[in-house]
Amino acid sequence: MKQLLAINNLSKTFPGQVALDDVDIRLGAGRTHALVGQNGSGKSTLIKIIAGYHQPDPGSHAELDGETLLLGDGRAAVAAGVRFVHQDLGLVESLNSVENISMGVGYTTKRGGRIDWPADTQRARDGLDLLGFDDVDVSLPVGALAPSQKTAVALARALHGWEENAKLLILDEPTASLPGDDVERLFAAIRRLKERGVAILYVSHHLDEVFEIADDVSILRDGKRITTMPTAELDHEGLIELMIGHKLERSAMSSQANATGVAGLDVRGLRGGTIHGVDLVVRPGEIVGIAGITGSGRELIAPYITGQIPSDEGSVTVFGKAIPNYDPRAAMDAGLAFVPADRATLGVLPLSSVGDNLTISDLWRNWRRGRLRHNEERAECGVWIDRLQIKTPGPEVPIGALSGGNQQKVLFGRTLRLTPRVLVLDEPTSGIDVKAKDQILQLIDEAASTGAAVLVVSTDTDELVQVAHRILVMVEGIIIDELSGDDMTTENVERSLLQTLKAAGR
Amino acid sequence: MTSTISDTNLDGTGDNPDPSGPQKQRNSLGSLVSKLGLNRFSGLYLLGAFFIFFGLTESNFLQWNGSIEFVLTDKVIVSMLALAFLVPLITETFDLSIGANMALSLVIVNKMALETDLPDWIGAVVGMFACLVIGAINGFIVVKLKVNSFIATLGMSQVIAALILRIHDGGNITAAFTQGYIDFGKRNVFSFSWPGSGSEISLPYYFFFGLIVAFVIWYILEHTPIGRQMFATGGNREAARLAGVKVDRLSFGSLVVSAGIAGFAGLIYSWKFGVYTSSVGPPLLFTAVGAVFFGASQLKGRPNVWGTIIAVYTLAFGIKGIGLRYPRQISWIQPLFEGLVLIIAVAVASRQAVVKVARRREEPPPAVEKSTSETGAES
Repeated sequence: MKQLLAINNLSKTFPGQVALDDVDIRLGAGRTHALVGQNGSGKSTLIKIIAGYHQPDPGSHAELDGETLLLGDGRAAVAAGVRFVHQDLGLVESLNSVENISMGVGYTTKRGGRIDWPADTQRARDGLDLLGFDDVDVSLPVGALAPSQKTAVALARALHGWEENAKLLILDEPTASLPGDDVERLFAAIRRLKERGVAILYVSHHLDEVFEIADDVSILRDGKRITTMPTAELDHEGLIELMIGHKLERSAMSSQANATGVAGLDVRGLRGGTIHGVDLVVRPGEIVGIAGITGSGRELIAPYITGQIPSDEGSVTVFGKAIPNYDPRAAMDAGLAFVPADRATLGVLPLSSVGDNLTISDLWRNWRRGRLRHNEERAECGVWIDRLQIKTPGPEVPIGALSGGNQQKVLFGRTLRLTPRVLVLDEPTSGIDVKAKDQILQLIDEAASTGAAVLVVSTDTDELVQVAHRILVMVEGIIIDELSGDDMTTENVERSLLQTLKAAGR
Repeated sequence: MTSTISDTNLDGTGDNPDPSGPQKQRNSLGSLVSKLGLNRFSGLYLLGAFFIFFGLTESNFLQWNGSIEFVLTDKVIVSMLALAFLVPLITETFDLSIGANMALSLVIVNKMALETDLPDWIGAVVGMFACLVIGAINGFIVVKLKVNSFIATLGMSQVIAALILRIHDGGNITAAFTQGYIDFGKRNVFSFSWPGSGSEISLPYYFFFGLIVAFVIWYILEHTPIGRQMFATGGNREAARLAGVKVDRLSFGSLVVSAGIAGFAGLIYSWKFGVYTSSVGPPLLFTAVGAVFFGASQLKGRPNVWGTIIAVYTLAFGIKGIGLRYPRQISWIQPLFEGLVLIIAVAVASRQAVVKVARRREEPPPAVEKSTSETGAES
């Protein structure tokens, strides 16, 4: 097999975390190579190093088609013939396909610097034809196209001028937001490219896709490459075995499931977006985890329950009290507090201090005789800063000066300060380091010990297994499995969330 | 951001062990700027400089009558308009209809005094009420119809202009008020002799009315939960909503309050000048808005009441001094001066932010990676 890309001794260390540990990886020319691994296994870091978004630790070496490839330099990678389509595609929705493609690869100009639109339009059509997407109306804004068509536009842009030097196309989770039929169209496009000699590195969570499209598969786990082998030599079970590799022991969490109590949080018939009818109950003192791959509806559960976005149908009850749709304040008043998933855009108040961020959800507590008592606020914030071990010089510091983990602790403080009876946490440890993560899991455990009903939604299965009493698995918009007790292992959960409804006979 | 949901813990960067770290290596210019407080008190420095320079060179500048008293009382109206712009701005809502609103209350109170036998104060109440209704309509358009506030209030100011012409299409209205009405706002509160010069010091009631309005707004913004929630809304509207802040109610309320303050500015005008002229109101918009942004660079590093007031009076005393020195050129120097001071003051205050950004770019890769993933929270 002719070798296209060889990466040797690639390591990447983030403060407090080794993301990649001495990884060697080889890609064959003209083959489709899948890169799989759990979240945190290092696959995105690997891609981002090739794309130049991260710098590798010193000592790595890479060769593309016999020539040295500088890692951590995006321009060098593109010049050497590597093309990328990232998960979020990077398209401007209000512009049409021609404009999106031209914006990325440069405009064709006529005399006087005028844009030669007919030429650019032809170029866009040719690019899409190559992929088998000749049905795309290139004059429509990209936002009006079908999901697979959008992906095709991004592909066409990445592959511009591919005849000259494109050797390797890297696709990062290209199907994350695609419905089933669209995935097939994308695969058809990938096969066409392969026939023309382009090698493809394909990153995905969807193992059935890996088996459908990939010739070879490399498995990463905890920043190490476990193995690389032809896909034909593996089966589904074997691949999962290699991805998970070991059983994680549940670390000591003190809260006990109280399965007999009344319902703390009761969700009935929830529908909207990719969610097609979800019922769930969380009892006081219980921690229930929700697992699911991206696109399964997992990412919408917490936003619907907490009123971030309006649901189409369904009821949410907190200790017998129904809370209205799309009203976070009403949910809070009923005793349901939450930490949203996207800290930077939905959580943090960027212009406010650490203290203001902590107290914003209940300011009247420190309101006495006609004014906010700033001293009392400062004292109360000090207590929370100590309790949550938030690293900050004081409550008056701007929130932006804190690290991600400490910002997250501030948001937890904001929520716990309301002494909620129901706590809904969406990706509570996303983007924070190991130590802060551990502290946050402890806080979740403590909240349940004091009688709160806790719902944790997470893509990190290990974390769910560690902290939850029960795990509900979402597949294609419904809850397909419930795991608890000894059945609740990382392996079982991962296995469950990779099912399809068809395969499960539902 | 949403694209990273599934994989973000991979990017888990470590804690920045010392958040105050970057500040320690501030360059010498930055440190001088902050030591002198130029970043926060540039307006007061400028005001002091005007008093020293024009006080020494222009014998009339420190005169009470015709100079200091003139500026203090004349700028109450612009101060009110600036505060009217400030209140909704805190929640990231723009109200460009304040100038027109001021003219509306002014034309109503004049017209009713001229053409009805009702006491003048009823005209004042009707004028205020009309402005509050306009504010509520602004709020409805912005909050319920989800029209961008900039556009909504821009459109509304033309609607108000039409309304004003419908009410009175005949140029000026003069001498319509009773002496009792004028006295209510214009009577002098205290008076004593200006040392040495023999001229009498006094300030009218409306000056103190304005001061009270400023004080109340300052109090609400800085010392009540409502103010805190308004700042949170302006910082990140959706995050504030998810934290339980009723952001729509605050935007609506701030537009009503804004219209009310603008209407009150119209009443102050009626006490001060006792007339209506069609050129009043909208032309004051630039000065008011400019003062708010200049004021945002003062004291706090964000829009605030006393910074705004300082900005209004710094500009006004500067213009007064220039007018005394170059009486013939003042007509074109005034807008030039207003524009340049606004730009320079904001540039000086942003200087630190610029230095901070530049330094962040120079940091080694892990930190760069952190800043790119978190600038959303910082900017």
